[in-house]
Amino acid sequence: MREYALFLGCLIPARLPSLEAVSVKVLEKFGIGTRPMIGASCCPDPIVMKSLDYKAWLAIAARNLSIAEEMKLDILTLCSGCFSTLSKANKVLKENAKLKDEIGSFLSEINRGFSGTINVRQVAEVIREIGPEAIKQRLQRTLEQWRVATQHGCHLVRPSDVLHVDDPNRPTILDEIVSWVGAKPIEYPLKMLCCGVGIKAIDPETNLIMLREKLESIREAEANCIVTPCPFCFIQFDMGQREVNRKFKESYAFPVFYITELLGLAVGLSPEEIGLQFHTTPVKEV
Amino acid sequence: MSKEEKRVGVFICHCGKNIAGGVDINALLEHAKKLTDVVFAAENRFTCSEEGQATICDAVKEHNLNRIVVVACDPTLHSATFQRCGEKAGVDPAFTELIDIRKWTMPGSPQKVDQEQALENSKRLMEQTVKRIRLKRAIPQVEVIVEPSVLVIGGGIAGVEASLDLADKGYKVFLVERLPTIGGKMALLYKVFPTNDCAPCILAPKTAYANMHPNITLLTNSEVVDVQGHVGNFQVKVLKHPRYVDEKKCTGDGICVEKCPAKAPSEYSAGMGKRKAIYIPFPQAIPRKAAIDADHCLYFQKGICRVCEKVCPTGAVNFEQKPETMELKVGSIIAATGFEEYDPSKKKEYGYGLYPNVITQFQLARLLDIDGPTKGKLLRPSDGKEPKNIMMIQCVGSRDEKANVYCSSVCCMYALKHAQIIKEMVLHDAEIYICYIDMRTPGKGFEEYYKQTRDLGVTFIRGKPNEIMEDPKTKNLIVVVEDTLLGEPVMFEADLVVLSCAIVPSQGMKQLAEMLRIELDENGFFKEAHPKLRPVETNVRGVYICGCAQGPKDIPDAIVQAKAAASCADSELRKGKIMLPEFIVKMGKTS
Repeated sequence: MREYALFLGCLIPARLPSLEAVSVKVLEKFGIGTRPMIGASCCPDPIVMKSLDYKAWLAIAARNLSIAEEMKLDILTLCSGCFSTLSKANKVLKENAKLKDEIGSFLSEINRGFSGTINVRQVAEVIREIGPEAIKQRLQRTLEQWRVATQHGCHLVRPSDVLHVDDPNRPTILDEIVSWVGAKPIEYPLKMLCCGVGIKAIDPETNLIMLREKLESIREAEANCIVTPCPFCFIQFDMGQREVNRKFKESYAFPVFYITELLGLAVGLSPEEIGLQFHTTPVKEV
Repeated sequence: MSKEEKRVGVFICHCGKNIAGGVDINALLEHAKKLTDVVFAAENRFTCSEEGQATICDAVKEHNLNRIVVVACDPTLHSATFQRCGEKAGVDPAFTELIDIRKWTMPGSPQKVDQEQALENSKRLMEQTVKRIRLKRAIPQVEVIVEPSVLVIGGGIAGVEASLDLADKGYKVFLVERLPTIGGKMALLYKVFPTNDCAPCILAPKTAYANMHPNITLLTNSEVVDVQGHVGNFQVKVLKHPRYVDEKKCTGDGICVEKCPAKAPSEYSAGMGKRKAIYIPFPQAIPRKAAIDADHCLYFQKGICRVCEKVCPTGAVNFEQKPETMELKVGSIIAATGFEEYDPSKKKEYGYGLYPNVITQFQLARLLDIDGPTKGKLLRPSDGKEPKNIMMIQCVGSRDEKANVYCSSVCCMYALKHAQIIKEMVLHDAEIYICYIDMRTPGKGFEEYYKQTRDLGVTFIRGKPNEIMEDPKTKNLIVVVEDTLLGEPVMFEADLVVLSCAIVPSQGMKQLAEMLRIELDENGFFKEAHPKLRPVETNVRGVYICGCAQGPKDIPDAIVQAKAAASCADSELRKGKIMLPEFIVKMGKTS
């Protein structure tokens, strides 16, 4: 059984704990084990913290990496932002001896050290590795009616010199997985647009304008649900639809699924086991 | 020879400050004096200067030197200079060596190291060279009679030009072309900048002349499969693929083409039109002989039809033709294998291959051509309607760290050319936008051409689009670009997007380079012997390169190189005999 050190980040434990539960459950079904990373902190985030204090950002990321190094396991992240941060920091520290020494001296103060022995994976990548055959064998439910708008999000594929999950400009990894569970991935023009959540804190208005454009494009393409591997995109779509509806007098109600929720439904977990009752936008029959 | 006393002279060059600024010359000089058999060592500001060479000559005479080591710059640049200088003073050229330490000292050199390291490296290289030159024996030279013939690989404009030059000088030329017709990519350009001449019209006189020239043997549908031997005496194997039409009997009347029931995508239409399975590639094709495409021919695929055989008045069709291997003996070889257009589907953000209305400039040239699939009407692929807003995107696959870093040098100009053709001759009211990083128009008459295009009302947007989306209903394209002059992101809706794709090396160049034993540069083009001073020679004597196979260039530059390569081949072969090291000749005979 393949085992990973499960890195949760902040959003999932704080606001979306059901995503952790369903992910662990679903991955187990495919023989992928996860072990918690005791003492892990915020990743920290790949934009703000990195811009404010690059070395502090590296040091905190290195500390998180060092926990998994001690466990002798590769890291599995459920969040694309954590994936981006930890992968980038891992690469920088593996390649830049000078920075590695400097960060190493910070870490030695807390009796830790970075040695560069592990890799960082994102859950979508790990699911792709399971492969279509193994997934099709376990299918319990037919999702033929699902017309899925996939939202890859930014940090799953960027920075593209670090993350080689898929083409950064036109990724198709989610569409592949969606088609493996028998659902239909839908092309829509604004597929590559950012969900908008990244600027929510500084410009909530633009954030909603972006989300609204995105939702409009999804509606025009006649999709009936949204799937994403990123908890930030998830929360933006799931909760943001309500805000868009209120602000622009719209009536969007696309059910939103995290990638392991989709897989969980397909392999026969009940809606309660998956935690669909915790979604803000209610999930009815798709 | 081995009994003779070895007397080595070492000459260290400052190269102005290029070497002296990066290494301690005196330390190096002292080190040289300590080496075995070194009886004289000196330093000089410019060893390659007349004065520097005189120092070498004087020292040879005064100290009775019989070995010379010059510690200076790149041997490909100056070896011959110092060998000639030594020879004048009576030293066998085999015993004059030039070593390069400048690469470690010169500002801007990619291999530059610090002072200490440079001294260490230079000492080491000098020690080894002195040791080698002490142990070395002179290589006997023998006279070789050369074949007064040349193989030219590639029948594009560069290959044709080189062939004509050499044939006119009296050499027998074998012109090998992979396709059934010569003319190469130029035949597909419709018009050429900056004169807006019709490309086939200015190409045809050359290809037609090559076809009828008594000294040129055209080998179309053929590939070079093996090369042995050395300058003056290459043995080449050429595989001629069957065209299933007897070239001697075929008159090019085209009756077979008319009657052929099978269709295939046409190369001449950049995949946008159809041709028959038996075909003459384009009206001005040279040779004007039909060829059968076995992959699409009903007889070869299903065993039926043979209509062409029945209708041919001269009985030229021959389904029994087999591949044929020919052996040629030539004195030198010119590789002019040309280029290919970068495959833009690799730049996924532009949606080429996904969105029907995203095409390449090569495809646009075919659409504009009156002999093209639309007979010169500009109709967009999705619905056959005339586009009103046309957006061109420059530098697709070039000047891009994720694809090719180099500039393809012709894309700015061909985009301007197509903009002019559309504005002046095809769709006067169309709005044309060109998204560029920098407009690069450094050629004779090119800047004027750029101005003419601006005056026609073409809009230039400085910025490289990062995304193209398709409106699923209209199939129009929404192009997202940051206008870096406005400093703002802008969105355009275009009916047609045209990608100005990079020039990349053509397929098979790697195998050919291995056969010819020549080098490829970091981008996969043939590498010249020296980037500035020997642009058409290679590391193999007697093998020359020209045209886009050496790097991206426009037609006049390709012609210049073709003429240069022909001239180099002529210089080597014209005396009828050359001196070569004995071992090379022996190896050539045994292989």
